[in-house]
Amino acid sequence: MDDLIKLVKTYRVTAGLAERIRLAEEIFRLIEPDLRVFVFSSVSHEAAKDALQEILKAVAISLKQFKGDTVKEFWAWCYRIARNKLNDHYRSKAADRMQPTPPEDLWQMMELSAQDAPMSPAVRHDLDYAIKLLTAAKPDCSDLLWRHYVIGLDYGEIAEERNLSYDNARMKIGRCLDEAKSLVS
Amino acid sequence: MAELPQKEQLALHEFSVRYRAALAKQHQTPEQSLDTVRDAVREQYEQEQDAKRSPSVEPPSPTKEREPDEPEP
Repeated sequence: MDDLIKLVKTYRVTAGLAERIRLAEEIFRLIEPDLRVFVFSSVSHEAAKDALQEILKAVAISLKQFKGDTVKEFWAWCYRIARNKLNDHYRSKAADRMQPTPPEDLWQMMELSAQDAPMSPAVRHDLDYAIKLLTAAKPDCSDLLWRHYVIGLDYGEIAEERNLSYDNARMKIGRCLDEAKSLVS
Repeated sequence: MAELPQKEQLALHEFSVRYRAALAKQHQTPEQSLDTVRDAVREQYEQEQDAKRSPSVEPPSPTKEREPDEPEP
């Protein structure tokens, strides 16, 4: 991940267009997969394709203005841009907001992944448990668990997103996991 | 995530890895995404060049006539 911030810092001081494009391609090859998970977990898949392109464009255009020094700051900045774009999107098309994904659709995704990484019975058992945890809780809890454990947002990022303190976010996620576990068992 | 019980941590991690892999398989990026990025970088670069070519854009004159602010009470 150190490579990412080095690339971003180099991009900031690069004047030539060809070199900027080369650096931008490297940067976006690294960040696009995570941004894609973020977007596809937030809006319907149909809407997500366009939303992702808008977000990538917004990040690319603003890349020279990023002022931070660490990968963590860079990701926080990227997710802030993504959230703002998605909020704009929600305002114009409320129907595109992601609905909780049913377990059978999640299983389809798992089966798709199995084409490249076959599932042992133990892994299948773990995945069954994970899907139950993610879908058992109430929608708000399920969303929190998804953002933390699947998208990989840390407590600080979720706190910013939800306008909570860091500790509140941490405790809320802990309570949601407890709730999910009790519902599954 | 360090305080998570091992069982949940492993299961959710495995799910996350596979979900990402499936999403990547479903929406194999990148050419469209990279085109978007290249266009955005070019657009931003051209704006910078335009700004350099016309540095004499004057800031609004303080004496220039403008709409009045809120009326004085």
